[in-house]
Amino acid sequence: MEEYQNGSEVGVGADSLLWFGIESVLGGDDYSQTHVNKWTAAIVERCLTQLVKINKPYKYIVTCSVMQKTGAGLHTANSCYWDTSMDGSCTVRWENRTMYCVVSVFAVCIA
Amino acid sequence: MSEQPKEKPPKAEKKVKLPAEGPRAKEKAGRIKDPASTHVDEHVTHEDPTASLIPNTYQLSPNKPFPITTISHILKEEITHRLRDVRYDPVRSREMTLTLCEVIRTRMKEFMISRYKTVILVHIGQLNGQGLQISSRCLWDPNFDTFVSHSFKNTSLFCSATVYGIYFE
Repeated sequence: MEEYQNGSEVGVGADSLLWFGIESVLGGDDYSQTHVNKWTAAIVERCLTQLVKINKPYKYIVTCSVMQKTGAGLHTANSCYWDTSMDGSCTVRWENRTMYCVVSVFAVCIA
Repeated sequence: MSEQPKEKPPKAEKKVKLPAEGPRAKEKAGRIKDPASTHVDEHVTHEDPTASLIPNTYQLSPNKPFPITTISHILKEEITHRLRDVRYDPVRSREMTLTLCEVIRTRMKEFMISRYKTVILVHIGQLNGQGLQISSRCLWDPNFDTFVSHSFKNTSLFCSATVYGIYFE
């Protein structure tokens, strides 16, 4: 997550968009195995609907990982074969006392 | 671990125009474009910018569908081969995620799947009794766009790899 390769798409707005999406779902909660499925679904749905409202001709892939804090390590990497001038991605890390959350958006231009 | 509800993209008005230069490996005329240079890790591979623009083909759907079974097989093979007896190590796992991404992307390029853009996601984590949930949702055309996923686990680590194939009109 050291480099963002961005075309014209997401830009600075996406960071805060994703952040608020996560905060609205997870803010103030502790990790719970029973709820985590519902949380991740809510986060991706919220982020996706916000992205659609921007109204740009893009296809979106939104992924969300929520991990309990136990001292274990997690590594994530992505590799994309696309048009670097038009397509881009954005990743946001969020954490609280009991869990980590990583949300990534990949935006692929249509035509 | 991951779920995939799919939605159709909103209808957008399209104008006929020359398509932008894209990562097309093979065109109808039979030209094959090679990337100018390829690096591992953090470098971007660019197509030759002086290549001529391609005329509109008026093609609405892909000639060949995204080869799901082949890619699933590739994922299984690569991950098992590289991680079978490996113990979790922070430094090595970090490098391994990047290596796996690059390797999968290279193998996918060999298939010359025309008009498909790909996004490859790899997670490697330590097994420590923690809970983890990975989900994704996509706004795309469910007729042509798809994904393939594979997970792997040994005594000390787990790995999850996903390849998304997006049709480029």
